[in-house]
Amino acid sequence: MSIIFDPSQIERNPALRFVAYGVIAMVLSVLHVVFLRFISVSSVTPDLLLILTVWISLVEGQFVGMFAGFVSGLLFDIVSADVLGSNALAKTAAAFIAGYFWKEGFAMETIGSTKFLIVTAICGFAHNLIYFFFYVKPMQISFPMFFLTYGVATTLYTTVAAVFPMLIINRKKDW
Amino acid sequence: MQRFIAFVVRYKNYITLFALVVMSMAFMSVGNLRQLGGFRAVIVGSVGWIQSLFAWIPNPVALKSENTALRELNLQLAIESARSRQALVENAVLRRMLELPKYTDYKLIAADVSGKTTTQLRNYATINKGTADGVREGMTCITDAGLVGRIIGASEHYAVVQLLLNRDTRVAAKVQRSRIDGIVWWEGETTVALKNVPKSFDVQVGDVVLTSNYSSIFPANIVVGRVTKVEDENQSLFRRVMVEPAVDFSTLEQVYVIDYVPDAERLRLERETEQRMKQRSADS
Repeated sequence: MSIIFDPSQIERNPALRFVAYGVIAMVLSVLHVVFLRFISVSSVTPDLLLILTVWISLVEGQFVGMFAGFVSGLLFDIVSADVLGSNALAKTAAAFIAGYFWKEGFAMETIGSTKFLIVTAICGFAHNLIYFFFYVKPMQISFPMFFLTYGVATTLYTTVAAVFPMLIINRKKDW
Repeated sequence: MQRFIAFVVRYKNYITLFALVVMSMAFMSVGNLRQLGGFRAVIVGSVGWIQSLFAWIPNPVALKSENTALRELNLQLAIESARSRQALVENAVLRRMLELPKYTDYKLIAADVSGKTTTQLRNYATINKGTADGVREGMTCITDAGLVGRIIGASEHYAVVQLLLNRDTRVAAKVQRSRIDGIVWWEGETTVALKNVPKSFDVQVGDVVLTSNYSSIFPANIVVGRVTKVEDENQSLFRRVMVEPAVDFSTLEQVYVIDYVPDAERLRLERETEQRMKQRSADS
C-alpha cells in the first residue's frame, strides 16, 4: 500500500499536493453537507473547509491560500446550494488573514500548536463576519444579533473542530 | 514594463485578493441556479442523492428538536380543541338562553356571571349588569333551567345575586303536580329542602317544584328543582322533601334578570301585618 500511496511524495511534490487539496476539499464539502447535520448544535456546524483553507495558507502561504480559499468556497457554494460567491469571498478573506501567520519551513510547528487554533479563531471570526453580512442582507433581521448568535457560535465550533488536526500533527512531531 | 512587473510581483497578494473579491462579488450578483445552467443542478442533485443514501441514519439532535416541536404543536392543538369545545358548550347554552324570552311574559336582562363568592355558607354571584342596565335590588335571577337567586345589591355596572344555595334564601314554592305548598331553603351541600309539607300530603320523587303564587319575593311558576328524596321525619308532622336545584350552580355563566320587582305595597302590608301579629302575641 505504501508503494502505491506514499504520503511523503505528496509532501514533496507541489502538483500532487494541490491535487490532494482539491480531493480533500471535495470530500470535505460533501462530508459537510451530508454528515455534519449529525453533529450540529442548534443548526451550528463547524466549517471544515475553513480549517482546510487556514491549513493551506499556513503551509503554502498567502498567495496560494487565497486561491485555495476562493476555490474551496466556490465549491462549497455549489455543493450547498448557497449564494454563489458568498463562501468564496469569505474564505478568500480568511485565507488572506491566515497568510500573515505563514512562516516558511515552520508550517507544521504552527499547525501542531495552539497557534493554529488562534489563527483558526481569528480567520473564522473574519470569515463569519463577511459571510453572515451577506447572508442576512436580504432578510429583515438584525445583523449584530444574528452574528453574535450564529457567527460567534460557528467560529467557536470551528475552532473546537480544529483541535483534531492540531492534535494529529502535534502527535507526529517529526517536523 | 519592468517597473510594472515589479509592482505586480511586489503587490501580487493584494492584487490577487482584489481580483478574487471582485470575482466573488460578480458570482454573487449572478449566482442563482438558473443562470449557471444545469451544472449546479447536477451537483445539487448528486449531493441530494448522497444525502438520501444516508437519510436512514437517525439524527438524535433533529429528533429531539422535532419531538419538542411536536409537543408544542400538540399543546397548542389541545388548547384550541378545549377552546372549540368550550365555544360549542357556550353556543348551546346561549341558544337555549335565547329561546327563554319566548316563554316568559317578563322582560329579561341578559347578564354574564363575572364572579362567585362563598363566605360562611352564603353563596353569591356577581353579574356584569347594574343599575345602568335597569337591574335593581329585589329582582329575580334565572337561567333557562330555573331559579338562580335574587339581586341583593346593584351598582352602576354590576349586581350581586344571592343564590338559591344561600342560607339566607327562602323561597315560597309549590309542587307542580299536586299544588302542595312549602318553603324551600338550603341546608348545605348541593340540594335544598322543601319544608312545611305535612306527612299526609302527596309529594313524590320526580315532582317538579316551582315558585309559588304566594311568594312576595319571586315571580310565580319559575322552576326551582325536582324532588329527589321524600322521607317521613320521626316525631314530626312534616315530611322531609329534598329537592335538587334545576340550575347547576357550579357551571353558572350566563343568567337573565327578570325585570320584576315585588309589589312594594304588598310587601309593606305583609311586613306591617307580621309586626302587628308579633306585637299582639307579645302583649298576650
